[in-house]
Amino acid sequence: MASLLLTGIRVLDLSSGITGPYCAKMLADYGADVIKLERPQSEISSISVDPIEEKALFLHLNREKKSITLNLENHAGRELFLKLVDQSDIIIENYPPGAMDTLGLGYEFLHKRRPNLVLLSVTPFGQSGPYKNYNFTELTIFAMGGAMHREGLPGKEPLRYGGDIGMYFAGTVASAILMASVYKSLLSNNGEWIDLSIFEALAGHPHQIGLRAPYIYSGATDDRTMPRSPTGRQDEPYAVGTFRCKDGFVSFLPLGTRMWPGLARMIGKPELITDERFMTGADRRMHFDFLEGILQEWFNDHTRTEVFKAGQAEGLPCAPIQTHAEAFLDPQFLARNYFVSIEHPEEGLLSYTGLPFQVSDIEVSPPKPSPTHGQHNKEIYMDDLNMTHEQFAQLCEDGVI
Amino acid sequence: MSDRITNSNYMPLDGIRALELAEIWAGPFCGLLMGDMGAEIIKVEAIQRIGRGPIAPKEGSAGYPEGDPGKAPWNRQGMFNAVNRNKLGITLDLGSEEGKEMFLDLVNISDVVFTNYSNGVMERLGLGYDTLRKVRPDIIVLFTPGYGNSGPYRNFRSMGMAIDAISGHSSLRGYPDEELNTNSLVHHPDAVAAATASFAISAALYNRTITGKGQFIDLSQAEAFAPHMGEMFLEYQMTGKERSRRGNSHPVLAPHGCYRCEGEDKWITIAIESDTKWAKMCEIMNAPSLAINSKFSTTSSRQKNKSLLDKTITEWTSTRDRYKLFYLLQEAGIASGPVLNSGEDAYQDPHLQERQYFQVVSHPEAGVFPLSGPIWRYPLKDPQDLPHNPAPTLGQHNSYILSEVLGLPNEDMEILAKKDIIGTDPLLGSDMGGIRRLKSEK
Repeated sequence: MASLLLTGIRVLDLSSGITGPYCAKMLADYGADVIKLERPQSEISSISVDPIEEKALFLHLNREKKSITLNLENHAGRELFLKLVDQSDIIIENYPPGAMDTLGLGYEFLHKRRPNLVLLSVTPFGQSGPYKNYNFTELTIFAMGGAMHREGLPGKEPLRYGGDIGMYFAGTVASAILMASVYKSLLSNNGEWIDLSIFEALAGHPHQIGLRAPYIYSGATDDRTMPRSPTGRQDEPYAVGTFRCKDGFVSFLPLGTRMWPGLARMIGKPELITDERFMTGADRRMHFDFLEGILQEWFNDHTRTEVFKAGQAEGLPCAPIQTHAEAFLDPQFLARNYFVSIEHPEEGLLSYTGLPFQVSDIEVSPPKPSPTHGQHNKEIYMDDLNMTHEQFAQLCEDGVI
Repeated sequence: MSDRITNSNYMPLDGIRALELAEIWAGPFCGLLMGDMGAEIIKVEAIQRIGRGPIAPKEGSAGYPEGDPGKAPWNRQGMFNAVNRNKLGITLDLGSEEGKEMFLDLVNISDVVFTNYSNGVMERLGLGYDTLRKVRPDIIVLFTPGYGNSGPYRNFRSMGMAIDAISGHSSLRGYPDEELNTNSLVHHPDAVAAATASFAISAALYNRTITGKGQFIDLSQAEAFAPHMGEMFLEYQMTGKERSRRGNSHPVLAPHGCYRCEGEDKWITIAIESDTKWAKMCEIMNAPSLAINSKFSTTSSRQKNKSLLDKTITEWTSTRDRYKLFYLLQEAGIASGPVLNSGEDAYQDPHLQERQYFQVVSHPEAGVFPLSGPIWRYPLKDPQDLPHNPAPTLGQHNSYILSEVLGLPNEDMEILAKKDIIGTDPLLGSDMGGIRRLKSEK
């Protein structure tokens, strides 16, 4: 469903992949009218991708959106596109730098025609620079972003995160930059061209910039060290990290020496609090192996849920490591009715992740499934653009639509 | 006068004033994005509780200019200074009546209040949405605790790593052939929440312009992060099966992984998306026969013989410079990328340099250094024009905000300072979770 914060905004989404479409999805989630432009011929499913994963991704990224088909490489197609631009506020595209210019649809031209338009160009490396035409995948761009260097065991190869986290992050950052310009354009009636690159978004992630300044200040490095090394506190290190417990694993992170008494109580050994051997943080670090041992013993006897409950009761930041199937049934998500059931004409009834944030005073519209290919052609071309049935049929025949 | 350099009323959020109550990295990232877009971000800290590293770090500690914490280390911490650029800083003891009153006076002249404090903290301080709204009806308020403002986990101690665990992401991280307990803790979901918050605030500003209404935004970090894996929830429903850990490999493509290069801990990632690209790579490796070798000639055969494939490629990459390989492969259109660290590698990268990614920032107590600038561009504007003010020292703008902007007379400022309601020096214990916490645990 859409929370109708952004009613009245119309978006033309020309993008593919994850970053652009997710940015467009953020707008659709909040009531913008998002029209996804697809090519007249259905895209041949790439053999390099798992078909189920591809389908699931499409369903997820494109619910709440409309789909029209349009061939932009054709004069008639471009003319139609410009008619759509006349009714739109935002364009999202991720073509190689310069492609929009080649199509005769560069920003300066569009801006003259529709001054309030905001154009978001989101590409792997940006509109300029030596890498601007470089190819990428999630793995290769995440590697360059800076986080991968810190992940994994020292001595083994560094590790990416799961899924396509890098591309999604860039999409979220893109939505933040885009929305601010759209707000400004409402006030000034003057749009903007935004150049966001996935590489720079990842390199500008707060964890990366937070570690970059210590480097330039004092040469500090951000290497893979202990397997359980947190980005942050080193107090109570024997209790920091991912721990096996009775039925799986938990993530555990005491935030400082002040949490030691709670830790001792959690594992049922409050007498340790006054034990001379463990009085200070330094003492406890010296007895790393012993303390790790008794902690692990306690974990071995408790399930993830029991650890979660006991840890939280003592104010210790911790959480069970869940699979997605388990997260699906997580009491917190359920209590907040987070997942949304939507019926899709081909795929049936499925539960989707819900809104990223809740807004208090705003109407919510019923959810819409992802569109079929060109599903909204008639609505957009004939209703919105006042095309006649004959014109429409002709354009379809000509391969423009 | 504010000491801020802003020449840019073309910046999208110029004229917007936001009060930031956020600690460590990720919450402040929302303020960073908004500040980089021209908003006036007033970071509200307190001398009772600081998130600027230890008060008395050891000499030679990492992250301070030349390893020297100096007389006021809280103003010289790299991590803080990076994530809090383009912000003004004041201190207010919100636990005091006077502090609270001044905060409400600020709310009256602000557009936005955002915080990542735990659920209930603002209400306990007497600064919940209803109170803020009474002071300024169209105020936009965003709270972003870990799990949201309702539900059984709402009062749980949360951090990014907890959201990462609960949401399903942690279960997908790590080497396929190692146990999960070799995984580090990852706080990435915080940053997602912060970027989402920036979007949410601008969306609310848009709506307010049309309707005149403010909003309360309840942003659960878990709910903001789950859509970054939205397809996995669907895959599970469609197939009954879960994804397993893949490490750096791909379910279909091969080669797809991270390969050792010449030097200490230097790596390159390579992803071959088609047989054609593989043939090109074989040419580059000077091993064209590998392209027609039945073990490697198709995607599926390469997937089947992945170990041998990766070994063969490593033989080639391990004696070569990662950047040379990167350029060579990319010239042939092959997706590849060196594994870069956030320090030396970022500063030296030719692309980031040409894009003017770094700005020289002059900080009154930490000195002059090139730091990360805004992470996007407006192609028709000069990157040098983008705001690049330093992070505030503790309470740096108390005088400007409280005295000039709010009009507090000097005598009042002195009284407040004597009572420790405002100040520029942190109190003992303020770096250990806050002095009130210490008191309550005695």
